[in-house]
Amino acid sequence: MILTPKILARLLALVLLGVLLQLSFFSQVAVFHVSPDVLPALVVSLGLLGGSMTGAVTGFAVGFLLDCLLVAPLGGGSLVLLATGYLAGLFRERFEIHSRMVAPLLCMLGTLFAELGFGAVQLMLGIDSSVSTGVIRDMLIKSAYGFLLGWPIYLGVKRALRPALVEEPAARRRRPPTVLGA
Amino acid sequence: MYRKQVRRRRAVLALLVIGSFVLLTITYGQGSNGVQRSVSTIFSPVQSAADRALKPARDLINWFDETFDAKGRNARLHGELEVARRQSVGAKAALAENAQLRKIVGLDRGGAIPSGYKPVTGRVIARSPTVWFADVTIDIGSSQGVELNDPVVNGDGLVGKVSSVIGGSAQVTLIADGSSAVAAKVVPPGIQGVIRPQVGEPGDLILDFIDSSKRVHAGEPVVTSGWSAQGLASHFPPNIPIGEVTRTPIVEQEAQQQVHVRPYADLRDLDLVQVLTGGSR
Repeated sequence: MILTPKILARLLALVLLGVLLQLSFFSQVAVFHVSPDVLPALVVSLGLLGGSMTGAVTGFAVGFLLDCLLVAPLGGGSLVLLATGYLAGLFRERFEIHSRMVAPLLCMLGTLFAELGFGAVQLMLGIDSSVSTGVIRDMLIKSAYGFLLGWPIYLGVKRALRPALVEEPAARRRRPPTVLGA
Repeated sequence: MYRKQVRRRRAVLALLVIGSFVLLTITYGQGSNGVQRSVSTIFSPVQSAADRALKPARDLINWFDETFDAKGRNARLHGELEVARRQSVGAKAALAENAQLRKIVGLDRGGAIPSGYKPVTGRVIARSPTVWFADVTIDIGSSQGVELNDPVVNGDGLVGKVSSVIGGSAQVTLIADGSSAVAAKVVPPGIQGVIRPQVGEPGDLILDFIDSSKRVHAGEPVVTSGWSAQGLASHFPPNIPIGEVTRTPIVEQEAQQQVHVRPYADLRDLDLVQVLTGGSR
């Protein structure tokens, strides 16, 4: 990804929009009693398109903003989402992405990883209450939502960052050669 | 050149990870800090506007979920209606008697809201996305008289308490949050206990530390006990409805001194809430 001030502004806008939409919309809708969490999918998409550093930095920023707005212990969300973004970026750097299913599948895995990470941070900080098995059901359903929402989120992020992407299929558009003197 | 790039990337990553741990160490257990208050102050008007703008879309999606849910609820509500009908006659008589008693002792209380408290109505504008934290943000704050630890209710019963407050918004920690504990009692027997959540099951709370020699029965209501002793007092005033006892396995009652409680308030779907401001705690 080629980072210019314009692209950085777009990344910032994506982070802000993602967090606002999550808190004001997705967290407040419930399908089968579970609300979707689109932030891991957003971070995974950014990691897949921008690489491990972009994934890690945007993951940190999304987590920091989330913790600030939810008045949760600062750093917990950042740590989890930076790891999610970094791993997604690492995947892109190590493997070729051939199938369209890769992005939604990684969004699903990223959501599951992030939910497990949030749980690990919460347990690390100390939790006084018992943990129900409902947590597992919740995580699995959230991951399924991650899969379903992963593709549109990936496409949206790709569209927003198109000018910065190096491997852009649109560049392969063919034009008939101009024959001089014809 | 390549090595330099790799080294720089590793340094950035290490910086972010160390930064996260430093933030966690510094801010853990402090409640809200200056950074969070500033960010919340900047974003609360935007969140409020986004919440209003997205409400129709949210309601549409929730309508589908509620339609599925309503089918299951229908049968249970029919049963509850029968019981409620039978109780209503007795309740009316009790209310009349209660009104006379209130006049006698000079109390001025209406419904579940205790005297001395001024309810301020607010709307939920944001909610924690993860199951591990049960927090919501509401669009009223210290400008409307909301203070830290004020109890929060809705039309059905107790919802939680204010855990952080700024000018125009406040953070409410729900009774389903892992950090929550509410002193409660079962009525009419008056058996005391502490309402604790089970993380991941907001519809199934635990009434813990009950007297195992006394028997609690399913269907009995649970309200806040609002204790106060030697200068210490519960954040919650007495007699706010919390929920009703659903399961009372003998083994759990005797060995673990606990029973299961279904909260009256639907903690997954909160819209309008009331913060009980003022009060003498």
